[in-house]
Amino acid sequence: MEVDTLRCLDGGFPRKQATYTPQDEKYELRRQRYKGQQYSHLYYCRLHKFREILTSAVKERWPRFPVCTILALEDGKDCVVIGTLYKQMRLKPSILDEYSKERSHVALAKPENFTCPDDYLILEDESGRIKLVGDNVVPSHYVTGVVVAICGQEGKDGEFNVQGILEPNLPPQHPHPNNTVLDDKYVAFVSGFKIGRNDSNPLQVQLLVDHLTGHLGEEQEQSLSAQIVRLIIAGDSVELQNNLLTGQSVSSKEQAKLIEPIKELDLILTQIAASMPIDIMPGPNDPSNFSLPQQPLHKCLFPGATVYSTFLTGTNPHQFELDGVQFLGTSGQNIDDLDKYSEGGDRLDFMERTLRWRHLAPTAPDTLGCYPFTDRDPFVIESCPHVYFCGNQPSYSSRMIKGPGGQMVLLVCIPRFYDTGSAVLVNLRTLQCHLLAFSTTFC
Amino acid sequence: MESKRRKSSTNSGPPLIPPSKRFQANGEGPAPPEPMEEEDFDVDVFLEEALLRDEELMESGVEGLAARLSKWKRKTVTSFDSRSSNIVFQQLDIDYIVGESEKDSTSGRAGPAAILRIFGVTEEGNSVCCHVHGFEPYFYISCLEDVGPDDIPKLRQALEGRMREANRNSKSPSFVTKIEVVQKRSLMYFQLQKSRPFLKITVALPTMVAGCRGILERGINIDGLGQKCFLTYESNVLFALRFMIDCEIVGGNWIELPAGKYRETTRKMSYCQLELDTSYKNVISHSSTGQYSKLAPFRILSFDIECAGRKGHFPEPEQDPVIQIANLVTVQGEQRPMVRSVLTLKACSPIVGADVMSFDTEKEVLLAWRDLIREVDPDIIIGYNICKFDLPYLIERAQVLKIGDFPLIGRIRNSRVRVRDTSFSSRQYGTRESKEVTIEGRVQFDLLQVMQRDYKLSSYSLNSVSAHFLGEQKEDVHHSIISDLQNGNPETRRRLAVYCLKDAYLPQRLLDKLMFMYNYIEMARVTGVPISFLLSRGQSIKVLSQILRKSRQRNFIVPNLKSQGGGQEGFEGATVLEAKAGFYEKPIATLDFASLYPSIMMAYNLCYCTLVKAEDLNKLNLAPEMVSRTPSGETFAKVTLEKGILPEILEELLSARKRAKADLKEAKDPFEKAVLDGRQLALKISANSVYGFTGATVGQLPCLEISSSVTSYGRQMIEHTKNLVEQHFNLSKGYEHQAEVVYGDTDSVMVQFGVHSVEEAMKLGREAAEIISGTFTKPIKLEFEKVYFPFLLISKKRYAGLYWTKTNTYDKMDTKGIETVRRDNCLLVKNLVNECLHKILVERDVAGAVQYVKNTISDLLMNRVDLSLLVITKGLTKTGDDYAVKAAHVELAERMRKRDAATAPTVGDRVPYVIIKAAKGAKAYEKSEDPIFVLENNIPIDPHYYLENQLSKPLLRIFEPILKNASKELLHGSHTRAVSISTPSNSGIMKFAKKQLSCIGCKTPISDESQTLCGHCNGREAELYQKTVVNVRELEQLFGRLWTQCQRCQGSLHQDVLCTSRDCPIFYRRKKAQKDLAEAEVQLDRWQF
Repeated sequence: MEVDTLRCLDGGFPRKQATYTPQDEKYELRRQRYKGQQYSHLYYCRLHKFREILTSAVKERWPRFPVCTILALEDGKDCVVIGTLYKQMRLKPSILDEYSKERSHVALAKPENFTCPDDYLILEDESGRIKLVGDNVVPSHYVTGVVVAICGQEGKDGEFNVQGILEPNLPPQHPHPNNTVLDDKYVAFVSGFKIGRNDSNPLQVQLLVDHLTGHLGEEQEQSLSAQIVRLIIAGDSVELQNNLLTGQSVSSKEQAKLIEPIKELDLILTQIAASMPIDIMPGPNDPSNFSLPQQPLHKCLFPGATVYSTFLTGTNPHQFELDGVQFLGTSGQNIDDLDKYSEGGDRLDFMERTLRWRHLAPTAPDTLGCYPFTDRDPFVIESCPHVYFCGNQPSYSSRMIKGPGGQMVLLVCIPRFYDTGSAVLVNLRTLQCHLLAFSTTFC
Repeated sequence: MESKRRKSSTNSGPPLIPPSKRFQANGEGPAPPEPMEEEDFDVDVFLEEALLRDEELMESGVEGLAARLSKWKRKTVTSFDSRSSNIVFQQLDIDYIVGESEKDSTSGRAGPAAILRIFGVTEEGNSVCCHVHGFEPYFYISCLEDVGPDDIPKLRQALEGRMREANRNSKSPSFVTKIEVVQKRSLMYFQLQKSRPFLKITVALPTMVAGCRGILERGINIDGLGQKCFLTYESNVLFALRFMIDCEIVGGNWIELPAGKYRETTRKMSYCQLELDTSYKNVISHSSTGQYSKLAPFRILSFDIECAGRKGHFPEPEQDPVIQIANLVTVQGEQRPMVRSVLTLKACSPIVGADVMSFDTEKEVLLAWRDLIREVDPDIIIGYNICKFDLPYLIERAQVLKIGDFPLIGRIRNSRVRVRDTSFSSRQYGTRESKEVTIEGRVQFDLLQVMQRDYKLSSYSLNSVSAHFLGEQKEDVHHSIISDLQNGNPETRRRLAVYCLKDAYLPQRLLDKLMFMYNYIEMARVTGVPISFLLSRGQSIKVLSQILRKSRQRNFIVPNLKSQGGGQEGFEGATVLEAKAGFYEKPIATLDFASLYPSIMMAYNLCYCTLVKAEDLNKLNLAPEMVSRTPSGETFAKVTLEKGILPEILEELLSARKRAKADLKEAKDPFEKAVLDGRQLALKISANSVYGFTGATVGQLPCLEISSSVTSYGRQMIEHTKNLVEQHFNLSKGYEHQAEVVYGDTDSVMVQFGVHSVEEAMKLGREAAEIISGTFTKPIKLEFEKVYFPFLLISKKRYAGLYWTKTNTYDKMDTKGIETVRRDNCLLVKNLVNECLHKILVERDVAGAVQYVKNTISDLLMNRVDLSLLVITKGLTKTGDDYAVKAAHVELAERMRKRDAATAPTVGDRVPYVIIKAAKGAKAYEKSEDPIFVLENNIPIDPHYYLENQLSKPLLRIFEPILKNASKELLHGSHTRAVSISTPSNSGIMKFAKKQLSCIGCKTPISDESQTLCGHCNGREAELYQKTVVNVRELEQLFGRLWTQCQRCQGSLHQDVLCTSRDCPIFYRRKKAQKDLAEAEVQLDRWQF
């Protein structure tokens, strides 16, 4: 079906357009398969990559200290080591807990956060590992898998007294196309429809659809809608009916139940796709694979929406360019995992950390499911996005951060639509963002 | 030369002792004593032949090694003056050696004499070796009525003559040095007179005691008196123990040598920093209280070796080199090891925090280890299975390599360490073959032996022990990989070294975690035996030591009685009241007798010295109120006549325990707490073993009159309690309910008072305990301890329930005799039983438990159970031919050897297997298969085997009291009708089968390879795709969790996981997840992205 004719809203406002370049290739697995690979290669690639990045930064920051491997450390001599952090955590859940004899010892209520004051950091490179000590190292800030350069000296007990930690910091950024974008265009972000949950509210979603497609409100609203050039759905559009998928045979009635949420989602997506371009990313509860990078949702799930060329299924993490503005984001697993295994002020802090660590998901594969890559680490952030978004967060928040090289990045937490009824709009020109909230109750 | 020669020297090395000097080894007397439990022999070691010619020792010849090792030396001794400073140290080991007697300390007698050596550590951490002179071996014999004082020289002459006859080659100038008359009393049987004469026979050397004993017991012809037999007393006491008893030294206590009463040895024989000489009269032994309760900062070496075995063989010292030795030295009381070092053969990359020393030849490795031990000078050597494997291996390997200087790892200069086979048998621990390696002055503490002694576990591999106590899995590198790692490069050897270090560290961590050092030293102090006895000997030596000590105080002497009447006759054991099986949903109060058997012995004054012989009963003319008759018909004198020594020992033990427990409550310092807790535990165990000692028919001093009296009283009390409870707590006495005793064990009675709340049951329980205690002789006391609610009583000694000591919440789930940890059960049984009990007892959901069982059985039949849950593991102790009956795991090991000899399990390995479906009529042992093989080839397991041989018994046991028709309901219900059998990928028929794609939705074959679904299923894509993808999701999740766990275990992110620990519960899951994921992805691929 040709969709060009649909690019005008019902009110006659032409929908603005923006040049879209997908950049998901690095997150696509293609035909890579599990063939007995182990995770060590991924860590190795990551360390290798960051060693390149960090070596020059180290020379600048600590010009007088030699860079050496953990093996080559000498007692009491100052030097710099580049390595992967490993956080030893007493409360970290383990699959072995399932086998512990004392049933009562298995914590019944899962705590939200597994950090505790006893946690400590270990620095590891290909040659060995060493425990980090000293006041300059804050274990609660870091997680396993982050690569850093550390300046300090080896003490008597084979521990490393940390004097300073150098993080990779923000990667270089393409200049923001301020001059080429002249008028206001918006990208809409939404996440967590969770269609299929017993108490989900179909009306709320429909309000969003109507608003986006320009079926709602006065002219002013419609003209605003016409400025939205793209919708990004950052994960958790449906709630998987796990109870029906245990492998036990199910009745045809229940089979229908299984498919209903997807059908409903397809209907919604079809409506939107008819009016504007959409990217849909898989999230933790979508019918996609579990490990990061999550592969695009299969088009056979959306027989309706697939017909439109405006409908795109993306990977998670998802990366693209719109009118020269770089976008990068996830459906939230990476940030949620940091929240479990480290401490920070708010979700934006975690997002900022991942940027400063130049790594989208440092906890993968340790506590975050991940494909065992052998030749690369796709989660290394090689160029700095202008907008860094994260779906399925408890509430909306945003912040602009600056990098040492003048990089400007907008961090956006996209709230769960299911809980908040909200979407987020980002202005491509100004990189300002605001909330778009829908409610089905009268105030 | 050889440090200690025992009765049979089995080492195969070159004979280092001139034949003429072997006499001692065979000098036990003509007829060997009957095999006894824990028969102990003194074996004399002669000083001059124990030492090599005093040439100074050669360094191992590796440059710079000495300097690297010397930093670990002990602190130098601060200068002291033997005339003005006292030496105080904690002794850890006492042995003796035969040397020339010192002129000033003995009775002026020339010739060889025994010199005791006390090894220990001072508070400052300096090692001490103290030579104690002048203590002579002796024993007693009864003085016959008609032997007058004049006959003593005749006896001496006769005995001397017989001894010389038996030991022709001895160069000892005399054997029997002294015979004197002493006034003592036999411990055996009650007597009225307080003492009578005995002869104390002193001999020149400790081994002569046994010789004399044999001669005197069998009869000796004394000039003018004719053939006489004598009963000997205290003739079976090891010399070192004799010395400790007489000097009131207990194991591991502090010793003081007062200023001026000792001197420094002029010609040092040991590597100890302080080497002193003194007389036994000057040794001051401090009792372990106050400042002397602490532990000295002794050094503990924990080590582990790696050998490069050949493929398919367990390492043998004749062929396979030792490639790495990891060492950890910890100073007692410190948190971190002071030395972490690994010696490797061939270059090895450095390891952070550890000293890596690499050598080009195996000889250098071994010698470097010897030097390390000498420099570090450990007081205690620990490890896992070191006594049976590591130490003998090192020594035998050095023999093979002809490194004569290697086994000089003891504390005595130039004294070689030897290996001998021993077998240790005890009623409590069973017979165990082991090797004994005597390292003079250093105590060996093999954690494997400790574990086997102190804990009942399903497996004693280091992996499962550390999983059990430390809560972590140990990485396990298969010995076939070890050689590959060794033959690689410095990096792979480093990998191995890290693993080896970890293995060396685990025993130390177990030692700390389980506080063995505290507990064992406390045990040694309480029972008075050296620490080394605690592991190498059974319970009875501990009791005997206490009896001897107590007897000495009371002027008793202990007769050398051997087994009474063949030892086969048993006596009636403890009573177990009939169990009224059922599921009790009302609280069950448990009344326990606190230390029942010790209390009985105390209450009724049961002892050797209070037992009145039947024939004496009339003779002694004792008033009836002066004696008590036990329910088993024996007569014992009451306290008023004679206080028994066993009750006295028990009183002291129990009151010390009470004190320790009270102190424990007060104590704040964790170390002090650890010591006190160790002490109270040691006291409890010791008190309980006294009863066992009297009943051990092949023991040192059995007395069935005592033990049968104890049990008869016990039975009486249980019955009495039962009757009293049921008479008192009933409707007629004004209680609301009729109390009912549902079960009674050896020392506890379980009562259902009929009340509904735990609180009320507790109140009644306390009341009952008080009332009934009042009817018993003190100190027998009935205590109310806990309430079970709900309570599932299956049968005698089998029950489960929630355990309450507080009214608000239960403490734990307590089970007895429900085999959840049996070795030959698969994990599925354990999980199922635990889950059922949890559902029944905690959730109170019997229907839910039944449903859970049904689901599990259905899963089993439908082949949905995780294979790792079905793995059964058995140890391969000998090769197939040696087993009389064909066993599943042995047959499997044989088959695996045919497949691939390199990875097949060898003797000593544990063999995991699953039971597979086989041809009809196949024997059970033919149906075993390697789980990996099963996984790879899709071989169907035999669900019926698991259902019938593994699940049914434990399940029925639990459910029979609860459920009518449990068997029918659980094992034969409708849930058992659907069965799924996978098709093996390697079976013959599959070679002829043609594979064809089928529709993912309905399994209809489809011809077009590009299609995923058949025509009928088109349109169901979204639904079917979801199913496929969910399967992948779950496997991905599992894959990630499993493999990252293994990375955490191995402690490295950047290196591949090598571990093949089949003991680890996730090993098969890891493998299976990998394989399943690959298969699931093939399915997903068909959806063509």
